[in-house]
Amino acid sequence: MKRDLTMNELTVNDLHLDYGTGATANPILKGVSMHLQKGEVVALLGPSGSGKTTLLRAVAGLESPKQGTIAIGDRTVYDGARNFELAAEHRNLGLVFQSYALWPHKTVFDNVAYGLKLRKMGAAEIKDKVADVLKNLGLGHLAERYPHQLSGGQQQRVAIARALVYNPPVILLDEPLSNLDAKLREEARAFLRELIVRLGLSALMVTHDQAEAMAISDRILLLNNGKIEQQGTPQSMYETPETLFTAEFMGSNNKLPAKVVARDGNHVQLDVNGARLTGTARGASQAGAEPTTIIRVEEVKISATAVDNAIDMPLLTCMYLGDRFECLFKSPDSSAAGLRAYSKYKLEPGRYWLQMPADKLWVF
Amino acid sequence: MQTLTLPGSGRRGPGINWLRGLVVVLAATAIFLPLFLIFYQSFLTAPFFMPAKQFGLDAYRFIFDDPDFSSAAKNALYLALGLTAIAVPLGGMLAFLMIRTDLPGKGFIAPALLVPIFVSPMVMGFGYVVAMGPVGFYSVWAKDLLGFIPWNIYSFTSIVIIAGLTHVPHVYLYASSALKSLGSDVEEAARVAGASPLQVMFGVSLPMITPALAYAGVLVMFLGFEVFGLVLVLGDPEGHMVLATYLYKLTNKLGIPSYHLMAAVAVCLVMVTFPLVMVQRYLLKSANKFVSIKGKGARSKVMPLGQWKWLAFALIFGWLMFTIIMPLSGIVLRSFVEYWGEGVRLVDVLTLQHFREILDQPSLVRGIVNTILIGVVGGALAVICYCAIALAMHRKPDMISRFLDYSVLVPRAVPGLLAGLSFLWVFLFVPNWLDGILQGMDNGVAVWLSENAIPVLRSLRSTIFALWLAYSVVWLAYGMRLISTALLQVGPELEEAARAVGASRGQVSRDVTLPLIKYGLLGAWLMVFLIFEREYSTGVYLLSPGTEVIGAMLVSLWASGSTDLVAALSFINISLVAIGLGVALRFGVKLHN
Repeated sequence: MKRDLTMNELTVNDLHLDYGTGATANPILKGVSMHLQKGEVVALLGPSGSGKTTLLRAVAGLESPKQGTIAIGDRTVYDGARNFELAAEHRNLGLVFQSYALWPHKTVFDNVAYGLKLRKMGAAEIKDKVADVLKNLGLGHLAERYPHQLSGGQQQRVAIARALVYNPPVILLDEPLSNLDAKLREEARAFLRELIVRLGLSALMVTHDQAEAMAISDRILLLNNGKIEQQGTPQSMYETPETLFTAEFMGSNNKLPAKVVARDGNHVQLDVNGARLTGTARGASQAGAEPTTIIRVEEVKISATAVDNAIDMPLLTCMYLGDRFECLFKSPDSSAAGLRAYSKYKLEPGRYWLQMPADKLWVF
Repeated sequence: MQTLTLPGSGRRGPGINWLRGLVVVLAATAIFLPLFLIFYQSFLTAPFFMPAKQFGLDAYRFIFDDPDFSSAAKNALYLALGLTAIAVPLGGMLAFLMIRTDLPGKGFIAPALLVPIFVSPMVMGFGYVVAMGPVGFYSVWAKDLLGFIPWNIYSFTSIVIIAGLTHVPHVYLYASSALKSLGSDVEEAARVAGASPLQVMFGVSLPMITPALAYAGVLVMFLGFEVFGLVLVLGDPEGHMVLATYLYKLTNKLGIPSYHLMAAVAVCLVMVTFPLVMVQRYLLKSANKFVSIKGKGARSKVMPLGQWKWLAFALIFGWLMFTIIMPLSGIVLRSFVEYWGEGVRLVDVLTLQHFREILDQPSLVRGIVNTILIGVVGGALAVICYCAIALAMHRKPDMISRFLDYSVLVPRAVPGLLAGLSFLWVFLFVPNWLDGILQGMDNGVAVWLSENAIPVLRSLRSTIFALWLAYSVVWLAYGMRLISTALLQVGPELEEAARAVGASRGQVSRDVTLPLIKYGLLGAWLMVFLIFEREYSTGVYLLSPGTEVIGAMLVSLWASGSTDLVAALSFINISLVAIGLGVALRFGVKLHN
């Protein structure tokens, strides 16, 4: 793929990073490459231990990689081959910490102004700029407070203001929403997306929550065990996963105890406890291994009458989720996990047909 | 199924805990009786053993009129302030460099930092004399090179600088443990914002550990008022005195033991140190105010110092050179040379003569044996006593615990020299007083006690028990902190579980708490060994045939001018401390908290 490198605000190439050295070295990143374009928001998504925070910290200069390159704009900040590493303070990035890391001995104003003071800006100019960014984040009236006098959401905004005030080319966000209450988190998510769009920021965000990643970012990098599993737009990641890991990580799924009966290109004939279903093969299926068949919970359609491409199962129970019911179907004699499906209404006990559209029934 | 009941359960009421009562009474006596005697004596017009004594303020009038006293008081203040002004900033910066940056040579700097804490200041002071005094090794070498000696360690400024530099490690210990528990994310935030390591240190790290630095500042100021050995040795040639050395010199001032004057000086000194100890206690509570322990920040990369790396290393090495290597190497050299002066070649005068001389003098050999005994056996006994007091307070939040909690701090305010003096008085005064009462009672038991028990009590003064008691009380606050740190590690639910299955308080202590803090107690024993080896001032007034220890003998030998013996004894003392430190490092004993 040909890319205009000068368009990238951030380029990471074949990055390797170990914790520890020698015999005790524990590889965390095993050759990660990525890029971030101007005005783009990229989410680093993955389970804990996948190396997403380590990658972010390596970009910030807080971890030392072993090999590879990192460039911010056209400025190389790390080059393993030349053994060159630019110190964190010279990288000019904005970083929002998961814990916010606000300095408790400085007021909100001083917290935000610190980066400008270090850049030897005049006092009047600092005052204007800080007031500006605080106003932008809805914190204008809190400048004289200390961090411990603020709510969690306000602290987070101060942390963002502190990272934005000197206009860094890229802003790095480490699990920005994870320290907020569940209720506050949705508001903050909308606020963050709105802010990024309004100010035209280029941002790299670490998160373990796929819903958060999909809502805020333009592109998602899914990391698995120190490598990039798949990357793409939120929509493509969710709707056309290339691997089982991606499919399972991006949404809630039903796993079916299916056996492959016949294959015809992408069309796969399956046998689920005697019922015949048609599915779609995705990704590069490994030869020899028994394929895994999954379907998203929301794609299972419940029908009271017999329908095409469906299996019938008795209803076990329904769980009320507020906007809908999640229904659990399970054969009493089967030891396999049941199937889950959503229903608008509470269902009467009995047997139902669970229809699975062939293009949504994925075989990996 | 029938419930299995404990034997004898049901008949036990909430009886009085006799053991705890005994511990509390003994501890309170050992703490307050000597202090009471000092106050009592200071308001008498003559020593307490004189028949012609009465209450009055003559003693205070005398010392306040004495120009030496006011100059000593002024010097003590300057010393304490100067020492604090030097030690706090340097200790804080040293802690930052050691904990947070890629300073080279951390591996050997870390153990070296502990040396000034565990080597007796008397030994250090003597080390400076033989290394950098007018005819010290380094002075002579400097003169050979430069043609003159670029320093005068006997000036008061030099004394303040030396005291300041040797107290840097005290600040370092508190600053570094505060920095270790400070989440590194706040520092990383500053670095990403564009701050260099130096700017991080002054802008974020040190301001955030201000409470710990304030505590350490009060601590070293307090230690500054206590400084005795250093000024005794270095201040003598030019006649500089502080309160502690003034007190010591008073002994000889009037010919007869001027106990009432000494008591008045002691009260003045305690009036300064006691508020400082109380401030320390208050600050310690707020010392962790800013500190936030973050799980995620634990594994953080050290900050690269870049071109500052070797400058920082050179400064720290210079400090190590001046505060550790020069004085200690001076002592080692001096203890192995016959004499030293200008134009003497080192290889010509090497000898083991001084050590042979020590072996020839029974009192010196006894001193060495006593020093080892009081460290090993006395240290173990002291830890047992501290442990008893700690258990008497453990998880019993009542008035008695609160009383003990404050009481154990009291001896901290009494410098070792005073404590030794007050224990001397206790052993002189209490038998007389008891004898007087018994003789007044005029019955068979009283006469028997007066004839048999009182002489035993009197003879205690010249046994090592007297010294051990004084040592243990002087270091009570320190030892209690060691024990309570270990006790804090025991989760309350472990003890509650034992209570729930039916163990009494005593059984919980014996079967659960003590086994769990076993290693903490062993570590405490080692630490107490180290400080008992280092102690010198407490034994000064208790020095008599049978109670010799190296520390006190150094003071008296120094006064009589036997430099050779002082050097050899200092060398032996350093070796004992080094063995203790080596064992501690080998077994990973936490040398500070």
